[in-house]
Amino acid sequence: MADSSISATPVPPLVPPPNRPGRPMSEALLNEKWDHCLSTLLIRSTLGAGFGVIFSVLLFRRRAWPVFTGLGFGAGRAWEECDSSFKRATAPSRDGLRVLRPS
Amino acid sequence: MLRTAIARSTRCAEQAVTRGQRRQWQAQRIRQPHLYLAQRTLADIRTTDKTVLPGSESKTVAGVPQAPILDANKTADELFNTAPLKAPPTPAEVQATPPPPPSSSGTGNLTSANINPSSAQTAPPPTPSTNTGNLPPTGTGTAATGPTSAPPPPPPRRPRRRIRNFLLSLVTLAVLSYAGGVYYSLVSDNFHDFFTEYVPYGEDAVAYFEEREFKKRFPTKEYSQRIWPQTRGENKVTISKQSGLSAKVHEETPEGSDLGQKGRHVSAVDDNKPQPGKASAKPAPSPSSQPPPTPSAPAVPLVDHINVPQAAEPVVQDLVKMVNNIITAVNASPEASKFASTLESMKGDLNKIVSEVGTLKDSAAHDAETKIKSAHDEFDHAAKELLRRVESEMHEQEVKWREDYETEREKLSQSYQQRLEAELDAVKKVEQQKSKNALLQQEIDLQKQYMDTVKAKVEEERSGRLAKLDALSSSVQELEKLTGEWNEIVDATLKTQHLQVAVEAVRAKVLDSEHPSPFFNELIALKEVSRDDDVVNAAISSISPVAYQRGIPSISSLIDRFRRVATEVRKASLLPEDAGVASHIGSAVLSRFMFQKKSDRGLPEGDDVEATLARTEVLLEEGDLDAAAREMNALKGWAGVLSRDWVGECRRVLEVRQAVEIIATEARLQSLLVD
Repeated sequence: MADSSISATPVPPLVPPPNRPGRPMSEALLNEKWDHCLSTLLIRSTLGAGFGVIFSVLLFRRRAWPVFTGLGFGAGRAWEECDSSFKRATAPSRDGLRVLRPS
Repeated sequence: MLRTAIARSTRCAEQAVTRGQRRQWQAQRIRQPHLYLAQRTLADIRTTDKTVLPGSESKTVAGVPQAPILDANKTADELFNTAPLKAPPTPAEVQATPPPPPSSSGTGNLTSANINPSSAQTAPPPTPSTNTGNLPPTGTGTAATGPTSAPPPPPPRRPRRRIRNFLLSLVTLAVLSYAGGVYYSLVSDNFHDFFTEYVPYGEDAVAYFEEREFKKRFPTKEYSQRIWPQTRGENKVTISKQSGLSAKVHEETPEGSDLGQKGRHVSAVDDNKPQPGKASAKPAPSPSSQPPPTPSAPAVPLVDHINVPQAAEPVVQDLVKMVNNIITAVNASPEASKFASTLESMKGDLNKIVSEVGTLKDSAAHDAETKIKSAHDEFDHAAKELLRRVESEMHEQEVKWREDYETEREKLSQSYQQRLEAELDAVKKVEQQKSKNALLQQEIDLQKQYMDTVKAKVEEERSGRLAKLDALSSSVQELEKLTGEWNEIVDATLKTQHLQVAVEAVRAKVLDSEHPSPFFNELIALKEVSRDDDVVNAAISSISPVAYQRGIPSISSLIDRFRRVATEVRKASLLPEDAGVASHIGSAVLSRFMFQKKSDRGLPEGDDVEATLARTEVLLEEGDLDAAAREMNALKGWAGVLSRDWVGECRRVLEVRQAVEIIATEARLQSLLVD
């Protein structure tokens, strides 16, 4: 709502308002992470399943289990990624910070 | 089907006989005249039912397979007997047997032989045919172009010709390569070096061609013509070898120069005519004097050249000598007596001549004397004349010099006079200038004195009036100071008024607007009005730029946003520390089954998320933004993260409000201070 009202009001010509679409609002942070996780899960598991299909065709005489194994690998990777992203999000990023030791 | 094929083949054969065959014959005759006889013999024994494969005789038809070439030397029977249809050979056999003849014999031949062994016997080797054009294959008809084909060349000639051909081609190749080498060595310098060094006679050949090229470029004929052009078209003059000077031994010529002789030479001064006369006169007497000489005759005495009158005269002496010579000559001759009388008369003549010479001498002396006298007179006269002339000239010269002297003196005196006058004028001018200068100096002095007196008087007057002016100006300055003070007071009141107006504008824009709107312009106006007010500046700088660029949301919008944030926070309310995916899923699912804490019976206590949210909602509804923000700020973990933006917004609103309050208070204070 705030964003739409900003765009409606006349903007002063001197300094345009810094509109940063890259950074989401804080209450939407969790939802965005969920979206990202789901898409990652889909992609990884599809990739794993694909590799499983290829391997089953090439090596395992069209058995079904390599496909499920690949699917499981992909899903597991996506899960792990998602987990780490959730864990990292609460603590503020420490990238680029330096500690000044008292001399 | 078969019938049509046969009909076609017959037609084809007719064509071949009428047209193609004849042509082929001619062509063959032209090509190989020496085989003509052999052909004739072969044609006699040929058979008409020779088998020719369809289209095999034509090279022009595309796509028709070439007939297998039969070896002329072997008949089909031989082939049939010798070649294949055997059991596969053992390795030893393979090694023992020579390799099969190339291409001409083999299984292909065998098949053809199998098809028609009887006709293959007489089949000559196929020759190129110009026959039949694009006719369809004629099948195995009886029409054959066999007679046209060339018979095989006699076998013994073959190797010889091959050697000859090989030699011929070798020679041709060598000549061509040699010629190519010569040509290329003319073109390329590197190759020239190589060729002339390593190839025998290469240097001579290359040199010959280079010489030719040089001659072509610089022909000698043109060279000579260029130097001596025959411009007028006259004939060339050829000078023989004998022309010019040549050495020669001196020949004495009797005529002309007589320098080689002794005695008197031809003189350019004297008249040379009398000499021939003398020469002719001399021999004249000799014949007359020659007869007399006789040794026995009485000799005529010689003329005594000492006793001759006027013997001192050289002429007389000469004469006497001459006569004596004659006399001696006559005396020597045998007929001297004959000439004695003439000699005597000659002597008398001599004496007469001598006397005449004396008289001539006297007369000549007399003439000379008279001449000398007259010459003396003449000289005297001339001398006198000369003297007179010289005197007159001297006189003239003297007069002239005197005149010159006079004019020169006058000139000198005039020039001196002029110089004197010029000097006098200069001196006069100098004197006048000096007097003028003195006058000017005096005038200047007088003017200076006058100015000084005037100045002194003016100064006296001025000092009296200036004192009054100073007093006046000081009073005016005091008045100005007073008015300035009053102006400052007026300005200050105006400023405070402006400040208050601006503050009101900002307040109206910020706090009373429904939608968040930027108040950048208002803030700029406020800053302009209170340029030197530290408090106002500090308050303005405390407002974050995002606030005045975007504006701040109103209370209602903040509450609205809080509701949305609250639902999200509630979802994450059950998350533990360092929650993974599973705990997130669990929290999201389980939080839906939680009861919400109500605040209708007082504020709920506790640190948990539900209690905090309930308290915040109550505080917001009451309008206590500050306390609500504090409550939400106390949230930890994921709940804190999710509510961070909302808290920041609340903080910004509070900052702006506080700043506006401060500025308003400052404005009030200013207005109080002014009064």
